[in-house]
Amino acid sequence: MRSPRVRRTVGALIAPVLLLAACGSSSKNGSGGSGSTTLNGSGSTFQQTFDQTAIAAFQSKSKGVTINYAGGGSGKGKTDLQSKTVDFAGTDSLVKDADVSKYQGGKFLYFPITAAPITVSYKLNGVDSLQLSGPTLAKIFSGTVKKWNDSAIENDNGNATIPATDIVIVHRAEASGTTSNFTKYLVSAGGSSWTLGSGDTVEWPSSSQAGQGNSGVAQTISNTDGAIGYVDFSDATQAKLKFASIENKANTFVAPSLAGASAAVAAATIKADLTYSPLNEPGANVYPITSPTWILVYATQTDKAKGTALKDFLNFVLTDGQGLAEGVNYAKLPTSLQQKAIAQLASIVIPA
Amino acid sequence: MTTVAPPSEHGASGPPAGKAGGKQVDRVFRAIAFAAGLLVLAILALIAYTTTNKAWPAFTHQGLSFFTSTHWNPNDDRFGALDFIYGTILTAFIAVCLAIPASLGIALFITELAPKRVRSGVTYVVDLLAAIPSVVYGFWALAVLTSPAKTIYNDIANSIGKVPVLRNVFGGPAYGSSFMTAGLVLAVMITPIITSISREVLTTVAQDDKNAALAMGATRWEMLRVAVFPRVRSGLIGASMLGLGRAMGETIAVALIIGTSHQVTSHIFFPGDSMAAVIAHNFGEATGLSRAALIGLGVVLFAITIVINIAARSIANRTSAMTGARA
Amino acid sequence: MTVASPPAPPTHEDPGAWINQQAVSGRRRFTNALATSWMIGSLLLALVPVVVIAVYVVSRGASVMSVGFLTKNMQIVTQLAGGGIAPAIVGTLVITGVAAVMAIPLGILAAVYLNEYGRQNRTANVIRFMADVMTGVPSIVMGLFVATIWVSSGLHSGYSGFAGSLALGALMLPIVIRSCEEMLKLVPDDLRQASDALGARRWRTVVSVALPAALPGIVSGAMLAVARAAGETAPLLLTIGTTNVVNSNPFKGTNTTLSKVIWDNAQTPFAAATDRAWGAALTLIVIVFVFTVIARIVSSRFATVKR
Repeated sequence: MRSPRVRRTVGALIAPVLLLAACGSSSKNGSGGSGSTTLNGSGSTFQQTFDQTAIAAFQSKSKGVTINYAGGGSGKGKTDLQSKTVDFAGTDSLVKDADVSKYQGGKFLYFPITAAPITVSYKLNGVDSLQLSGPTLAKIFSGTVKKWNDSAIENDNGNATIPATDIVIVHRAEASGTTSNFTKYLVSAGGSSWTLGSGDTVEWPSSSQAGQGNSGVAQTISNTDGAIGYVDFSDATQAKLKFASIENKANTFVAPSLAGASAAVAAATIKADLTYSPLNEPGANVYPITSPTWILVYATQTDKAKGTALKDFLNFVLTDGQGLAEGVNYAKLPTSLQQKAIAQLASIVIPA
Repeated sequence: MTTVAPPSEHGASGPPAGKAGGKQVDRVFRAIAFAAGLLVLAILALIAYTTTNKAWPAFTHQGLSFFTSTHWNPNDDRFGALDFIYGTILTAFIAVCLAIPASLGIALFITELAPKRVRSGVTYVVDLLAAIPSVVYGFWALAVLTSPAKTIYNDIANSIGKVPVLRNVFGGPAYGSSFMTAGLVLAVMITPIITSISREVLTTVAQDDKNAALAMGATRWEMLRVAVFPRVRSGLIGASMLGLGRAMGETIAVALIIGTSHQVTSHIFFPGDSMAAVIAHNFGEATGLSRAALIGLGVVLFAITIVINIAARSIANRTSAMTGARA
Repeated sequence: MTVASPPAPPTHEDPGAWINQQAVSGRRRFTNALATSWMIGSLLLALVPVVVIAVYVVSRGASVMSVGFLTKNMQIVTQLAGGGIAPAIVGTLVITGVAAVMAIPLGILAAVYLNEYGRQNRTANVIRFMADVMTGVPSIVMGLFVATIWVSSGLHSGYSGFAGSLALGALMLPIVIRSCEEMLKLVPDDLRQASDALGARRWRTVVSVALPAALPGIVSGAMLAVARAAGETAPLLLTIGTTNVVNSNPFKGTNTTLSKVIWDNAQTPFAAATDRAWGAALTLIVIVFVFTVIARIVSSRFATVKR
């Protein structure tokens, strides 16, 4: 029975397996090897581009540390940190009081790392500039205004003529801190026109569409005439979307900009745990839909190498990293907040 | 459990062992092989148990309205999954409607029309459709198909979509990512399995029966109608149901092109969502009850596909044609 | 599977064509022609997606393909061009490989039980039937299953390549079982009886006679299952996490695959990301195609030997 044919086919069966095994053992060990430390993070896609940029710069500076930031949304980041699946979480929204006890690693710290405008991006053939007030935005996103030529929209734009295209609302598919901040803004600025509440998810009107992550929303908007949605400034800029100017508390229509975001952060009240809300703040230059974003870490680290690497990384983000922010369309922290955050680094306890 | 060794044509007459330990080895080998076989049942049972167990908090929290409510908002702990159940069924239905005529046509081409030399080539091409990964289908459709599809849908919406009654199905405004787009891509993806099983079923019809019909002066089509179709009807139904089950469980391609919108509507050019797509989009971010609810969607999906598959296999097996059918 | 084609009538390749030359009414001839064009039309219709997708994937994918693309770590900033897909290639091969190492031997053993021991007894029939049913279990459900029983349970904590392998292995298992059993079925019982007559135990007969005789077919079936698994995405979304650097250790740390890279990059408006997705798609298709072709070559060799 042991003919050459059989042997050849045995070879055909075994060869790929051996190949895989060889490739498994010979290739460079990327994570978990001796002398290298891997940090895993997940969460907010709002801050993802800034994180990615900071990580790239940090890794080239400190060899031996690998950082993976998985995105997935603020909700995912917080869940993963709860179960200690990750070493740090990115989040744009605060932890609910009811959830605090679920964090297996005990006390956690908020590190503000940057802030940025949430743009109201749209695609509408023939319309290159658009102004929207809070109540109009609320009407659009709750589905009561269905056509672009609605009088509410035309009134905001000096009675300009706008095509009668159907409005397509684009929102986030998954639980998201961007959604949370955007809907909080609508609660604050929309008045009685906004009835859907706020949160990581809300019940959007039917026939609205969703995208995965900020980039997914940006993609859907860029593909759909008549679409309007909320996207972080960095992704919207990079995707060359058009965005609306939003009316702030001083009754000025302000286009999303880093300066407008910085003004909003400067106007906000910073609490002792470094949480704050820069939404719908007063001031003529303030862009009203400005989102804060934090990195969330446990105060007590359990692994010396990881704890040290994490602290180094946060320090980098809060110092040199701030210089990278504007290059990728995020606002630097105001100096006072930056100093408070750096001071808080001392609260991270690393085992000896 | 059966402990008695089953009778088989070559085993019963086995001569005595050459070596003393041989019998022991044989017993152990048999037990290992049997355990490997039982693994199938064990995995299926475990899937049913662990997923239901993890989903239970959501089921008890939401009660029956899990299946009847259209309000799904994890932030408020509301989990009515009707939108997604509907989307799963509608897209799979569109897919099967489109795939059955094409699959049957191809299967008939292979069994009735194609010269012997061409047959394996055609089979190979159809198998290639199955070899393309789901994510590639979805990515391609999203990047390339959605925009021309929207134009075509709008043309349909502006013609057929103006007719009363039909307006409720084909009316606009049309979306590039919609139930229809998802159904279309699913149709391509399930064509291989429907074709392959239809082909197996069709080859069971005896050539003599076909020749008899032809000898009576029937054309090829009349021969098919008289001698072939009546015999294979249940087999073809089984094949179609297997395709339906596949379409319902398909995740990634659908998640990319269905439009991700919560609604129950008769309009096939509107966006929607399916159970599998919702799990793929949301599972990573879900915690606590909403995670349980997503696992609950998985339980519903598992139950539906298992029932469909069991029914389909039983029906198809009745034609005793399934000997060579491969998934 | 090699199903014997029905014997054609000796005189004519296609009896249906012959009848058409006889006196049949126009309407009947028309209906027949309509049916024929339906069959041919269906085939052409099926060709369209294969050709169109192949053209797009190859042309768009080739434009980003380079040695660097295949060997570099991933670009960390999704918006920007540059970087490679090496972590995804290694992840795909390692995760699928580990799945194959688990599923193929178990599948063959189960098939041996079904065809060599169980045959038509009730347990065997139930297992056979449920294996068929199991091929219809949606892959996302398999992912949920592994996510609940492995990733977030006491057994193990967190994402890893191995968790993905478990899901893919469970998906491959029934495919391997059924194709392997079909192949064992094709081995003539004469061979087994000859072995029995020489005094071999059943396990000896299976190991040295039945399995070697069916081997090419088994390899072919296994390769097709591997090809199927290599392209899977849904279960991996729930089980492996993500990484930007090569991680060849399936048991430690998060991982990534080509399918996941396509999924992540498909849902962005950035040209650089879309290009990356096309490149990953081409690489994935090539890998899947290689396994499929190996399967074809092995099985066609088997077919000639059988004759």
